[in-house]
Amino acid sequence: MIPGASVGEVVLDVKEVGLTLEEHLILDGVTFQVKDRIREGITTGQVVALLGPSGVGKTRLLRIIAGLDAPDSGTVRGLQGEELPAGTVGVVFQDYPLLRHRTVESNLLLAGSIGGLSAARSEARTQELLKTFGMEDRAGFYPGQLSGGQKQRVAIAQQLVVPRRFLLLDEPFSGLDPAALEDVSKLICEVANLDEFNTVMIVTHDIRAAMAVSDTLYMLGRASKNGKHVPGAKIVGEYDLVDRGLAWQKGIMERPDFVALEHELRGLFRTL
Amino acid sequence: MATKLARRRSKAAAFGVFNPNHVVGGRVAGLIVAFWTAIALLLWIASPWKTLPTPPEVIHALHDLWWNDGLGPELFTTLKLIFHATLITTVLALGLAYLTVVPAMRPLVQAASKLRFLGITGLVFPLTLLTGGGYALKVALLTFGMASFFVTSMAETVLEIPRSEFDHMRVLGASELLIVWEVVVRGTLDRALEVLRQNVAIGWSMITMVEGISRAEGGIGALILNENKHFRLEDVYALLLVILLVGLGIDALVGLLRAVLCPHARLGKVRR
Ligand SMILES: Nc1ncnc2c1ncn2[C@@H]1O[C@H](COP(=O)(O)OP(=O)(O)O)[C@@H](O)[C@H]1O
Ligand SMILES: [Mg+2]
Repeated sequence: MIPGASVGEVVLDVKEVGLTLEEHLILDGVTFQVKDRIREGITTGQVVALLGPSGVGKTRLLRIIAGLDAPDSGTVRGLQGEELPAGTVGVVFQDYPLLRHRTVESNLLLAGSIGGLSAARSEARTQELLKTFGMEDRAGFYPGQLSGGQKQRVAIAQQLVVPRRFLLLDEPFSGLDPAALEDVSKLICEVANLDEFNTVMIVTHDIRAAMAVSDTLYMLGRASKNGKHVPGAKIVGEYDLVDRGLAWQKGIMERPDFVALEHELRGLFRTL
Repeated sequence: MATKLARRRSKAAAFGVFNPNHVVGGRVAGLIVAFWTAIALLLWIASPWKTLPTPPEVIHALHDLWWNDGLGPELFTTLKLIFHATLITTVLALGLAYLTVVPAMRPLVQAASKLRFLGITGLVFPLTLLTGGGYALKVALLTFGMASFFVTSMAETVLEIPRSEFDHMRVLGASELLIVWEVVVRGTLDRALEVLRQNVAIGWSMITMVEGISRAEGGIGALILNENKHFRLEDVYALLLVILLVGLGIDALVGLLRAVLCPHARLGKVRR
């Protein structure tokens, strides 16, 4: 346990979410809650990771939380018990979509105008974010002229032009070199800590990278029977890394208890 | 060792133009074009076909056509016709293609696209009765010929927009109307202009035939039929040359329009 740390209100409440696609049961009663992390004297948002092997239904669940798809059953609610229609939750998809006929700057400005910011406010936010993300010299570039990592940063920046409580990132670590991975991880924590109620949710199959940035891990998986998967994924494990003293610290990845947990999760992964 | 490598490199450069998938620079590309142009001219001059007029004969005929037979005004008539028909085609076809986003309109668009199998010969009589003949008939025929292909290609383009582009805008909180404008209309403008380019070429290739159907208004098609009748072979070849060059000019113009309106479009094209 980290001194001065506790948890408060539920900021995201996912209850009994079920989804069937073309008669295949994909999600079967997914239930979990993300609670506000409180740390004395520091504004701490939440970074949580939804872990699961490839094809288990992570992206599908993300789309439901984002309000893009309706679940067949169950509910997704926010801090005040409100529903979260599309547009309230920021999402960075796996392929970092941007409008390819608009420049980097124009992509950000558009997000501002859609979000109802005044032209001046939108402009100010855009310049601020370009600076924060180190993309000032790429402001006039088209998405087609950016590298994968740069595109990702612009895509994240675009979601932040209008401040939002939730940011969902689908596979943010895929295809990144170690330095870029570290940059993105840092960025994720910064974004989360902008506001006490901010929550960044990472959806990934990368156990190690997820452990390094998150304070809570949720494991999405399927049960097995006679060596075969039972259809329908649910949350099969929740790991509070703050409780275990494995969050918010430097050099954490070398610690034996970190490595042990990583090992444990890897073993679990193979069965899901 | 190094010299051997250098020698191999220079050898590769010299024979690179014969290598598959080899990238050549602008100067080399120009030389290749010049080479083939020279071959073509040589073939023409030393032509074994008795009916083919020599270059001086054709140039003389061209001079004559321009100064004595009113080639200028006839060409203007033809250009006006293609411009008029292209304008109507573009508005009609793009309107229909964008309408595919409305489910209730899809059958209408599909029907319009199927009309291309009719061809225009059989439509001359019905359209004559509908339009009263003359200039209006020619515009109608050309429009019909171009628009049915334009709708087909553009509707396909709109249908092929990946869902992720819509979702990306939804996540930003955009209204469905704004999504149609940004993703469907603006997002496909480069492809629309490419399709336009092909359809103007189709229209241009039909124009002499269409002008032959109703010759009273003149135009380069009427002119060519007139020369045919009098067996003025060098005039016919001169007119063919004009048709080809003007066609290429129009094509280049649409290409230029695309480069100006959609600077991002060329980013997709990578030389192999
Ligand atoms: N349109 C669809 N119809 C049927 N099954 C689908 C469809 N889309 C995805 N699936 C299935 O849903 C499962 C979960 O997909 P997804 O959420 O993308 O997995 P991941 O956990 O890798 O993000 C996969 O097994 C996939 O085959
Ligand atoms: Mg996925």
